[in-house]
Amino acid sequence: MFTLGSVLDNELKSTVEDFSFETNFSTNQLMLPNIEKPFEFAQSIIGLEKDLQENENQLMFHQQKKEERKERALIKGYKGTTTLAFIYEKGTVIAVDSRATSGQYIASQSVQKVVPINSYMLGTLAGGAADCQFFLAHLGRICNLYELRNNETISVAAASKLLNNILYSYRNYGLSVGSMICGYDTRGPQLYYIDSDGSRLKNSLFSVGSGSPFAYGVLDAGYRWDLSKEEALDLGRRAICAATFKDSYSGGTIKVYHIDENGWVKISDDDASELWYEYEKKEKKEKK
Amino acid sequence: MDSLVGFVGKNYVLMAGDTNAGRSIMRLKEDFDKLVPVDSHKILAKSGEIGDGNQFCNLIIRNVSLYRINNETELSTKSVAHYTRRQLATAIRKNPYSVNLLLGGYDKKDQKGSLYYLDYLGSSKKINYGAQGYAALFVGSILDRFWKEDLDFEDGLELMKKCLREVEKRLIIGTRCFLIKMINSDGIAVVEKVMINSKKKNEIEEEN
Repeated sequence: MFTLGSVLDNELKSTVEDFSFETNFSTNQLMLPNIEKPFEFAQSIIGLEKDLQENENQLMFHQQKKEERKERALIKGYKGTTTLAFIYEKGTVIAVDSRATSGQYIASQSVQKVVPINSYMLGTLAGGAADCQFFLAHLGRICNLYELRNNETISVAAASKLLNNILYSYRNYGLSVGSMICGYDTRGPQLYYIDSDGSRLKNSLFSVGSGSPFAYGVLDAGYRWDLSKEEALDLGRRAICAATFKDSYSGGTIKVYHIDENGWVKISDDDASELWYEYEKKEKKEKK
Repeated sequence: MDSLVGFVGKNYVLMAGDTNAGRSIMRLKEDFDKLVPVDSHKILAKSGEIGDGNQFCNLIIRNVSLYRINNETELSTKSVAHYTRRQLATAIRKNPYSVNLLLGGYDKKDQKGSLYYLDYLGSSKKINYGAQGYAALFVGSILDRFWKEDLDFEDGLELMKKCLREVEKRLIIGTRCFLIKMINSDGIAVVEKVMINSKKKNEIEEEN
């Protein structure tokens, strides 16, 4: 039946198929390298502890020691970062550091760990930078298409569920994503934690990364639902600052964002090392 | 590590689960509900990986709903248990779901409650009382000793709290908060959200 709706739908589909990876995600097919046994290949090059133990018995590896195999692993998952987000009465606060490490080496001090999904939703990056950047950008594309097709803004719950389903289908392939989807929709401020293991959790505060225990300490001690905007932003900034002080894999600059009913806004961008000593100076002044 | 406890009483099934969701040593969420309703009279209590639990339970729940829509009849607890087991068994050698489940349900036809123990390997057993996770080590003996056929609701609730108190006392991983749900002829009801502090003698605080 060629109704106007179906013709338009076909039109949209044909333009969408021009993006070579779009169809694979929308029809839920996994994108895999064009080789005979993609799963085994993925398993052999990722350096996950549990998989290295399983390979113990395979003929190819039985003579190599575990340490040698670890070094051979081309892709290693790092979660050297600190990101946090929490929701409160007036909206959502997101604070991140900006350091990227490659083993003991600091690869960059100015990484963008917050990726905008649309004008009222942000995603944070932790784990593999490439994985997070790609999937969050892709989520942005899917959300845009959703809004065009359905003439309504996508909810944070739906956006996070879309990402969750995609990541779940890749769950044993060695992706490393620890992302938080934060936004403001008709239900108010929302925060979801999405993992490459396939978990999706909704809560009022999360912190992800190697520095997250340190950030949780400061965050849990100062968090209340009825914070004022300045207090909330200060809490986020201080929590990341504490994490960068203690965790060597976190540092660089501390970026703070705020989302409310008007959309997201970047609030501040401070050097982590300087901020710590500024806080110290401030407290010394107050003591006097 | 998740703790799930369940047993069958006189015309009801009582189930409890801890409310922690975490990642390695960290607790990410303290009010995570692990007892998901399959339909109005059945609960799937999930334990294991969060992602697998969510996706697998969603699969079962949606397929049970689909059956109801297609055939205009509700499935019995036994049927749901068999279906769930089959899904777990076919997946185990391809793409295993690391979830262990307790399926509790009340069948209006038999006027009885039933409880099934389902494993990630695809095992399934109808039980009168049981537990999943580390709780099974501590709670198994308590239920062996004190469970009786046709327990009244008050006695059953007291037995459940005895079990949860033991879990809180002996499990080194902190689980203080538990959610207790009951299924009877009226459907699913949240009985209590308890926070247990075994250091205070016999003191259990109720939340909300």
